[in-house]
Amino acid sequence: MADTSDRFSFQFDGETIEARSGDTVASALYRAGRRIFTRSFKYHRPRGLLCLAGKCPNCMMHVDGTPNVRACITPARAGMAVRHQNAYPSLDHDWLAAVQRFDRLMPVGWYYKAMTHKWSWHAAEPFIRKVAGLGVAPDPGKGSKDYEHAWMHTEAAVIGGGRAGLQAALDLAMGGAQVVLIDDQPELGGHLRYRRRAGAVPAGTIAQLRSLPSVEIISRAHCFGLYEGNLLGVLQANPHAGAIERLIHLRAKRVIVATGAYEVPFTFQNNDLPGVMLSTAVQRFIHLHGIKPGASAVIVANGAQADEVADDLRGAGVELVTVLAPDEVIAALGSSHVTGIQTHTSRFACDLIVMCGQRVPDAGLLHQAGGKLVWNQERGAFVPVDLPANVSAAGEVTGASLSRAMPLPPKHVPFHKRSFVCFCSDVSTADLRDGIREGFDHIETLKRYTTLTMGPCQGKMCQLAGIGACAHETGRTMAETGVTTARPPNPSVSLGALAGARHHPIRRTPMHDAHDQSGTVWMDMGEWKRPRYYKSASCISERSCVEEEYRAVRERVGLIDVSTLGKLDVKGRDAGRLLDKVYTNRFSDLKPGRVRYSVLCDEAGIVLDDGTISRLAEDHYFITTTTGNLDFVQQWLEWWLVGTGWDVHITNVTGGHAAVNLAGPRARDVLKTLTTCDLSSKAFPYMACRQAEVAGVPALLLRIGFVGETGWEIHFPAEYGEYLWTKVLEAGEVFDIRPFGVEAQRLLRLEKRHVIVGVDTDALSNPYEAGMAWVAKLDKPDFIGRNALSRQAEAVPQQSLVGFIMNDDAVPQDGAAILVDGALAGRVTSTRYSPKNGKAVGLAWVVAKAATEGAEIQIRVNGSMAGARIVPEAFYDPAGERLRM
Amino acid sequence: MSFLIPCPHCGNRSVYEFRFGGEVKVRPQPDAPAAEWMEYSYTKANEAGVQKEWWFHRSGCRQWIQALRNTTTNEVLEAFFPE
Repeated sequence: MADTSDRFSFQFDGETIEARSGDTVASALYRAGRRIFTRSFKYHRPRGLLCLAGKCPNCMMHVDGTPNVRACITPARAGMAVRHQNAYPSLDHDWLAAVQRFDRLMPVGWYYKAMTHKWSWHAAEPFIRKVAGLGVAPDPGKGSKDYEHAWMHTEAAVIGGGRAGLQAALDLAMGGAQVVLIDDQPELGGHLRYRRRAGAVPAGTIAQLRSLPSVEIISRAHCFGLYEGNLLGVLQANPHAGAIERLIHLRAKRVIVATGAYEVPFTFQNNDLPGVMLSTAVQRFIHLHGIKPGASAVIVANGAQADEVADDLRGAGVELVTVLAPDEVIAALGSSHVTGIQTHTSRFACDLIVMCGQRVPDAGLLHQAGGKLVWNQERGAFVPVDLPANVSAAGEVTGASLSRAMPLPPKHVPFHKRSFVCFCSDVSTADLRDGIREGFDHIETLKRYTTLTMGPCQGKMCQLAGIGACAHETGRTMAETGVTTARPPNPSVSLGALAGARHHPIRRTPMHDAHDQSGTVWMDMGEWKRPRYYKSASCISERSCVEEEYRAVRERVGLIDVSTLGKLDVKGRDAGRLLDKVYTNRFSDLKPGRVRYSVLCDEAGIVLDDGTISRLAEDHYFITTTTGNLDFVQQWLEWWLVGTGWDVHITNVTGGHAAVNLAGPRARDVLKTLTTCDLSSKAFPYMACRQAEVAGVPALLLRIGFVGETGWEIHFPAEYGEYLWTKVLEAGEVFDIRPFGVEAQRLLRLEKRHVIVGVDTDALSNPYEAGMAWVAKLDKPDFIGRNALSRQAEAVPQQSLVGFIMNDDAVPQDGAAILVDGALAGRVTSTRYSPKNGKAVGLAWVVAKAATEGAEIQIRVNGSMAGARIVPEAFYDPAGERLRM
Repeated sequence: MSFLIPCPHCGNRSVYEFRFGGEVKVRPQPDAPAAEWMEYSYTKANEAGVQKEWWFHRSGCRQWIQALRNTTTNEVLEAFFPE
C-alpha cells in the first residue's frame, strides 16, 4: 500500500494536483479524477490508462518541458509541471476529434493514395503536422544539458528485476561475478509486487543483493538495445536532480535477459475507450497505489484467469458485474468513458472493463541480438530460441510458464474500424483487413503499409493481435505468418538522451583575450576560434573593416595570429627520407635554414594537404599543416613510417607553439626593433628560416609570404603568446600597424592566387589540374602518389583551377556556377572584391577547353549571368617582387 | 557497430576509439605496371570473412596496429603491431 503520510502537489495544465509519496504522475491524476490521459495520434479519440507499465502509448505527456513522457512510470515530484499533448484546447474537449468524422477520407495508407501530386502534399502538410502526432519538440536551445552519458563495464548484466532476474543476479554474484541489474520500475520485484497469488516479493534476495559490493542495481532504467559485442543501451530516468535521463553504454561479458512477459489487449469495438484496462494495470492500481480503479467492473477473460483479478477487485471494493469470455464481447459502450459493455446477447452497465489478456514474452532484446522467435502453439507465444553466445534468457521471457489465453490465430476477428489493434497510430482490424486485401498480405509489408508496430510502443500492444488478424485473413498459421523484425530502440528513446550533454570542445589561441579586447568578430574553424576581422571605430561594415586591414598589410604592416596552423616537429636521422617519401617535393637536399612548400598526395595523386617545411638542422625539420588537417597529416606520416625501421620522431607541437605572421612593406622596420637577427634580404632571404630571439622570446622565424608581402611567420612558445603579440603591436604603432583577421588574409592570398587546400581543391584535385605541377618532383625515384602523378603529368587535363577577374562590378559568391556557351562549365571556389583591381577576382574550376588565357566565361551572380575573363597570373604582384624586397 | 578491438598496447577497447585504415595491401614497386598500381589504388578485396586491416588507436596509444577481423560477424580474432 502506498505511503499516505507524505503529501505534495504538482501542476497539470495549470491545475494543482495532490499527490502522495509513491505516486506516479498517472496515479496521482487518476486519483484526482482524470480519466482521459491522451488523444490518439490520428483520430484524436480519448484514451485512458491501459497498461500502467510503460508499455503502451496511452499516457504520454509533457513533463517539465520534455514531450512524450510516459506518465504511468514517472514518479510524481513536488512542483513538477505536467501538460497534455496533441489536443486542443484540452484533453476533455478536443476540437480536433472532429477529424474522426472524416475517417472515410482517410482509409489505411490514405497518404499514399491521396498525395499523388506534389502540390497535394504541400497543401496537406501544414494541416497534418498540426493535427496528427505526439508532443512538441522542446526549444533546441534549452534542456540539452539535462541529458548525460555514462560508460560501464561488467562481467554480467541482468535485465529485469523480477523473480527470475533477481535469482539470476544472486546466482551470478554468489558465483563470484560482478553483476549489474537493470530494472525499469521504481522498485524491484516485478509482477510479484502486485500479483498477490504469484507469491511474495523475495525481500531476502533483494536485501542480499543490495548488501553485495559486486552487485550494482540500476532502477527506473530500461534497456533499449542489445548490440554487437554485448553492448547494452540503457536509459536511466532521473539519475539525479540535475538530469532528466542518463544513457549508459553498458558492456557485459554475459547478458541475462529476464524481462518477463506483458499483457496485451483483446480486440473488440471501442476497446480503446478510457475505462478499458488490462488486468495487470488494475492490480497495479490496487496494490501499488491503493487506488480503487472503478465502481463496477466487467472482467473479460478466458477461464480461470478471471479469479485472481476478481479477488483483487472485490478486495478493493469494486462491484464485479460479470465475467465474459473474449468472443462474447461486441463492444465497449460510452463516448468518452466506459458506461457499459455489449455482448451478443445482452448489455451490462459498468465503468470499468478489465481484460485478462494474452501474455507475451518481452523478447525484443533477444530478437535484436540475433535470437529467433518461433511460434509455440501451446504457449500461445513467439518464444526466443537460438540465442547468440553469451546471451541467455530467464523466467517468463522464455515463454516456458505461459499458456494460451485465446485461440491463435483467432477463430473470429471483429473486423471493424473502431476495433483497434494499434493504439499508437489508430490502426483498426478493418484497416488490417483492407491492407491485406490491397495486396499487403506479408506481415512485413502489412507493417510498412499500415504502420502497425511502428509507433512509440514498438509493437508491444499490437504485434500479436496484428499477426493473429493477418493469419486469420490470409488463412495461414501463426508460424507461417511470423513476426516482424525487432530493431532498437525498444521501447522509444528520446533524441536528447542520444545526443547527450553538449560538450563541444573549443580551442582558443594564446592571444585570445588580446583579440577579444580589440573588438574581434569571431569565426569557428574546426574547434578553433579565430578572429574573422576586428571592428574599429573608423569602419562601418565587415567589408570596410576588412578593407582597412587589407590596406594596412598592402601599404604599411599587419599582424595576424596563425597559432592554429598545425605544427609538427620531425627529428631523426631519416627525417628527410620520410618527407621525401610522403611529400611530393624534395626535402633531403633542402639546406638547413631554408623553407620549401609542398603538397601531400595520396596514391591516386589527389592533393590531401599542403604546408611549408623548414629544415632547422641536418636531422630536424619543422612542418606546418592546414589548421583542420593536423591529425590527419600526423597519422599519415606515422602510417608510412610503420615497418620501415627508420629513425624518425614526430611530435605535435601545435598547442605548445603560438605563431603570428607579420607582413607588409614596413614589417622589417617593426621586427628590426625587437630582434638582433639580421633581417636584410641578403642575410635572410625569401624562403629562409632562422632561430632568434624576438622581444627576448626564443623564436623560429620563417620568411614566407602567404599574403604576398615581405613578411615573417614567427613561431614561439605559447606561454609568450599574448606578450609577444602585444610587443609587436607596440613596436608597430609608429608605422600604424593593424591586426588583421581571416577575412583579410583570404582576400590578400586570393589576389596572389595562393590556393587553400580543401577550399579551392577537393577529393578530385591533382596538382597538375590545380596548376601546381612544379610541386611534384617526378625525378624522385619514389614517393606516395608518384605513380599516379606521372600518368597525370602526361594526361590531357579534364579541368583546371584558374584565376578569373570580373568584367564589371558584379561580385559572385563562393560556389557560383560557371557557364560557357550556355553550358555548365565549372564552379567558383573562392572569390572576393579585390581593392587592387577594383573588381571581384577569384579562383574557379573550369572544364579544360574553357581554361585558356583570356577566355570569357559567364558566372551566375544573384540569379543572372555576369561576364568574367580567365587570367593566367596572380592578380597582385605576379612576379613576386614584393615578397623578396 | 559496437565491437571491441584488443589493442596490443591498451587491451580491449571500443571500436569508436579507433580510426579504420582499410585492408592491409602490399604497395607495388615504383616501376610496377600501371595495372598493378590501379589494382592497389582502387580495388578492394572486400572480403566476406577474415581480413587483415589497419587500425589507428586515435583515443588511446595513437599507434597504427593491424587486426584480423571477420567482416561478417565483426569478431576481431587478433590485433598486433605490424611487422
